Amino acid sequence: MSDRLMLVTVLVLSSTLVAPSSARESFDAPATSSAFKTDAANPPLLVNISRRPRTVEVNLTAAVTKLSLQPGVTSEVFAYNGHVPGPTLDVREGDLVIIHFKNNLPEATTVHWHGIHLPFESDGSPFHPIQPGESHDYVFTVRSGSAGTYWYHPHPDRRTGFAIGKGLFGAIVVHAANDPLPAMNEKLLILSDNRFLNDGTIDFPDPASHHGGIDEENGREGPVLFVNGQVMPTISIRSGEIQRWRVINSSAGRIFRIALAGQTMLQVGTDGGLFEKPVEVRELILATGERAELLVKGGAPGTRVLLQNLPYDRYSPHTRPTDWSVTRDLLTVETSNEPPIMSASIPASLHKVIPLDTTKVTAVRTIVFGQGIINGHTMDMTRVDVSTRVGATEIWQIVNIVGMDHPFHLHGFQFQVLDRDGVKEPYLAWKDMLNIPRHSTARIIVRYDDYPGKWMFHCHILDHEDHGMMGVLEVKP
Amino acid sequence: MTRRSAKATWFLMSLFLALVFVASVAAFSSASSRSDQAQQNQIQLGRHLVVSHACGDCHGGGSNPAASGWLDGMRDTITQQFRIGPFLTRAKNLTPDVATGTGSFTERQIFNALRYGLRPEETADVEITSTTPGQGNFPLHPHYLAVPMPWPSWRHMSNEELYAIAAYLKRGVKPVSHKVQDSDGPPDFWAGEYTVAKIGPHPEVKYPTANETGN
Repeated sequence: MSDRLMLVTVLVLSSTLVAPSSARESFDAPATSSAFKTDAANPPLLVNISRRPRTVEVNLTAAVTKLSLQPGVTSEVFAYNGHVPGPTLDVREGDLVIIHFKNNLPEATTVHWHGIHLPFESDGSPFHPIQPGESHDYVFTVRSGSAGTYWYHPHPDRRTGFAIGKGLFGAIVVHAANDPLPAMNEKLLILSDNRFLNDGTIDFPDPASHHGGIDEENGREGPVLFVNGQVMPTISIRSGEIQRWRVINSSAGRIFRIALAGQTMLQVGTDGGLFEKPVEVRELILATGERAELLVKGGAPGTRVLLQNLPYDRYSPHTRPTDWSVTRDLLTVETSNEPPIMSASIPASLHKVIPLDTTKVTAVRTIVFGQGIINGHTMDMTRVDVSTRVGATEIWQIVNIVGMDHPFHLHGFQFQVLDRDGVKEPYLAWKDMLNIPRHSTARIIVRYDDYPGKWMFHCHILDHEDHGMMGVLEVKP
Repeated sequence: MTRRSAKATWFLMSLFLALVFVASVAAFSSASSRSDQAQQNQIQLGRHLVVSHACGDCHGGGSNPAASGWLDGMRDTITQQFRIGPFLTRAKNLTPDVATGTGSFTERQIFNALRYGLRPEETADVEITSTTPGQGNFPLHPHYLAVPMPWPSWRHMSNEELYAIAAYLKRGVKPVSHKVQDSDGPPDFWAGEYTVAKIGPHPEVKYPTANETGN
């Protein structure tokens, strides 16, 4: 085989589809005027108000509003700039990013830039709450080599699940200086779920009730599945066309297991950017907070295919939902009647991921996930659970000793997976999320390159996190 | 001071320091051996309680610490798996293996399991001062051990005895890696089975009751 994976050949990639953002207006631009191509399903973009080169300066406000999340029903939500999901932060490697954030919510909040390598003060962790009515500027420079798909969401002490459930989440796309993939139509797929009362109120039961206890145990899930805030939207594709999908699981508790009925996909990336080589997949498990980049090819003209969420049993036997085994539809991929085009050829080599050096490891730590606890403790912001220094390289052995999956998230620093239950990871990748299935162990390696501070590590099932399944990693200068 | 008397002073000071050092080492060693002895006694008490309370009948090894499978969890579905209504429960690995046994628990978490019935892998390592959910570090939604575990009786042992059991399990038994399948259970984690009406009060009511002689 040649050095290019001849999946398909390029015929047309309209330059209009990849045109840079032309309008820099003071409101959120519709997706059609941006680097994201014409697709009603994509959220709007945050508009860059800076005129300086390599600088992205945006306004972001969180506020209470009313939106129709489901047809015919209005719900009171928390929204970024009036949208659920919030507008997409679209940046390039090396950009200086300034976010002027205003909290118009009735409660304290933060904005966590999930997966982004940035100074501690801009991480938006519970250490830096922004009170109602206050403003804060988040400032960071996008690291070279970090091109990928990320997301932003609140991370206040004990209220993250509530705030995300109310509607506060949005995508971040970091574009590469030199993207190895050919330009193609890009789609954001922000996956979420929710649960409503009959009058449209978002359902948060009393924490002391039985129902509240089940949410605390499982992580709050809902039967209504959304893609970019829409129920069962349609994505249009042309026969032979390859689209690049950036998929984000922004749900509070649901682990998605997605598949295109009868069709494989090519996974080209994960949390921290592209893989070294594409991997063909029939389905994909996406833990809470986890991302994937997929290449999807249009079928025969006039055909439709469903993207579905397949059953995934992540639950304790005590509280496993009775409907856990239901397959649910997420969206329809509709191949137009236009004649086929020749598809883009996909490089066999994508992005060099340099392995972290295991001979430089200065500490090996064991992190034990119980149910709602880490190493026997619940979260205490005055306690430091792991102490280290800038420049250290460490191996963390994460052991899940209970009968429920717990997705691990580390703030601030991307890591590499070494092995899972002793089985070597098949390919290198940068990660900030890793699902630790029930009764299993994974080993990761991480290097604290810079940015001293107190960083969170936690289960990304948000009810678990909010009830204390979180620890503090202090990186000293 | 002459050179000779200085030498003598140095000699006496050195001798004194050496004696102090020897005495300190002896005292430390004595305290250390007392501490070793106390630990041995605690583990021996725990071992006696584990054997005499038939922990091994369900968790493995019967009443014989030399038996194969001693306390390492269900290997036999006939004697170590129990059907409680619609639920199957299985005796856990009590050896101090981190991933499959009690290795990641503190002795206080094991104490809390024996005194309050709280599953140590699902209950934080804290001192509990109440049995009202949400108060005194008692979990708002307690996760209890499955009903075959007779903790409602054993909770009446003294603190010293329960901590001795924890010490034996953590420090007196070798770790065995043996994964036991999770038990089933109701969504309330057996809370409905552990009301005062069903398991009685703790501490026990004052002697004598109407059933007792008072002698």
